Amino acid sequence: MNSGVLDTLQRGVEEETYYLNMGPQHPSMHGVLRLLLHMRGEMVLECEPIIGYAHRAHEKMAENRSYIQFLPNTSRIDYLSGMIYNIAFCQAIEKMAGIDVPERAEVIRVIVCELNRIQSHLLWFGTFLLDIGGITPFLYCFDDREEILGILDRVSGSRLTYSYGRFGGVTADIDDVFISQTRSFLDRLRGRLPMYEGLVTKNVIFRDRCKGVGVITVDQARAYGVTGPVLRASGVAYDVRKAEPYGVYDRYDFEIPTRTSGDCLARYEVRVAEMEQSCRIIEQALDALPEGAIEPAKMVKKVKSAAGEYYFAVESARGHFGMYIVSDGTDVASRIKLRTPSFSVMSAAPDVLKGTMIADVIAIVGSVDVVLPEIDR
Amino acid sequence: MLPTAGLDLSGLTSSSVDSDYAVDGFHHRHTVESGRIVEIARAFCDGGYHLEMMTCEDRRADLEAMRLVYTFGRFDLVDRHLVFVDLVPEIPGAEAPSMTGVFPAADWYEREVYDMYGVRFSGHPDLKRILLPDDADFHALLKDFGRIEDAPEEESGERDEGQGA
Repeated sequence: MNSGVLDTLQRGVEEETYYLNMGPQHPSMHGVLRLLLHMRGEMVLECEPIIGYAHRAHEKMAENRSYIQFLPNTSRIDYLSGMIYNIAFCQAIEKMAGIDVPERAEVIRVIVCELNRIQSHLLWFGTFLLDIGGITPFLYCFDDREEILGILDRVSGSRLTYSYGRFGGVTADIDDVFISQTRSFLDRLRGRLPMYEGLVTKNVIFRDRCKGVGVITVDQARAYGVTGPVLRASGVAYDVRKAEPYGVYDRYDFEIPTRTSGDCLARYEVRVAEMEQSCRIIEQALDALPEGAIEPAKMVKKVKSAAGEYYFAVESARGHFGMYIVSDGTDVASRIKLRTPSFSVMSAAPDVLKGTMIADVIAIVGSVDVVLPEIDR
Repeated sequence: MLPTAGLDLSGLTSSSVDSDYAVDGFHHRHTVESGRIVEIARAFCDGGYHLEMMTCEDRRADLEAMRLVYTFGRFDLVDRHLVFVDLVPEIPGAEAPSMTGVFPAADWYEREVYDMYGVRFSGHPDLKRILLPDDADFHALLKDFGRIEDAPEEESGERDEGQGA
């Protein structure tokens, strides 16, 4: 064949590409994520995530209101890790202003945060499987998750957007009912996890759909600052709870589950294993729950801090959540930057999704567990 | 300043001091000239660090600068470096070299800084808005934009009526 024909053929191939908008309103897209896919047949040539649809200017609001007024904003940044974010902001301010927290409040915070983490993982579990065609697990998971929402609703007054933390403690004490509800939930979840294993983990269709799909290497993770279960599925045992223990996490015995393959299946396995570790932490915390106050004797009405830059990080359900706070000495922040884990994961998407099949895009985006309001802030 | 294994910043920073991690969460603080950003990034990358976070501060009022803020961290040990780069305070006009060639993570962070502060990054592959609408004519996190006290007073009754239902 002469080169002219080859050129024509080549051009023909090039012309048979098209653009596909996946989202922002698509039943199997998460939140309002929009992926602009450049496709050839079913192959993704290029992918551009277009974000910002859920931008609510939390960082601007932080500069316009006092630290205490900003507290309810925090749980709305990532509505699935609301408790973790809310408590994290309190802890950041406490560290900055040198506020002491009573023992009992610290332990309660660990319990509610881990419940929140399990709740987030359960929702991910259900929706991920829903994305790739399994409807039944979703119904079971939401049943379990509802228990947690009930428990947290009873103690904090909200189901998702908690404002349970206070600078120096928590708003309400937990009682015997909370403890027995939590214990019975742990029993229930542990009874159900083997069922999930049988239903999902050993399911051939599920495994074929996930194994070797959407591999994120350690180098890619480092290049994009990917953290959380996604990073741990690639083989790096990085968990802020262990690396920089905050609150009273250093007291508890738990493991960091890791896998090495970095594919959708590995991410799935890591999160399922993490639910068990969270159960262990909650159990230890309940066993050694100290008596005492849950708030400082003198309520913190005005945050006093030395001017300067502060950084505080926690492990949310999705990874390293950091707050960079610039104080000018007043009780209104000069700047709060929210470093959210989903933002980093999503910035790696063009690299990860390049060259994959369109059906795998759904599986990969589902497996990394992004929360769009957290990306857009 | 204690040198961290594998990390060589000698000659790259304008000033480097140790910081009290227990107080502010940073181990080291550096000030860097804007021309040196890429070299600094390369040094951190070779030393096994990743770009943990990047942002900007509008410090035109007190420092007469737009301040870029980078933090670098590691997965295997806790060692957080805070890097400041002070730029000329003119918006538009402030410009810095892009770090995307070293850390791809900088791509979105730099777009966000451009979006919110109007700082431009030379060498960025596709510097455009990321969170705000493409046709926005403002940079939302600048201090002279959208303070609550600037907003016109509204009577509470009117607003309730507007929300209705």
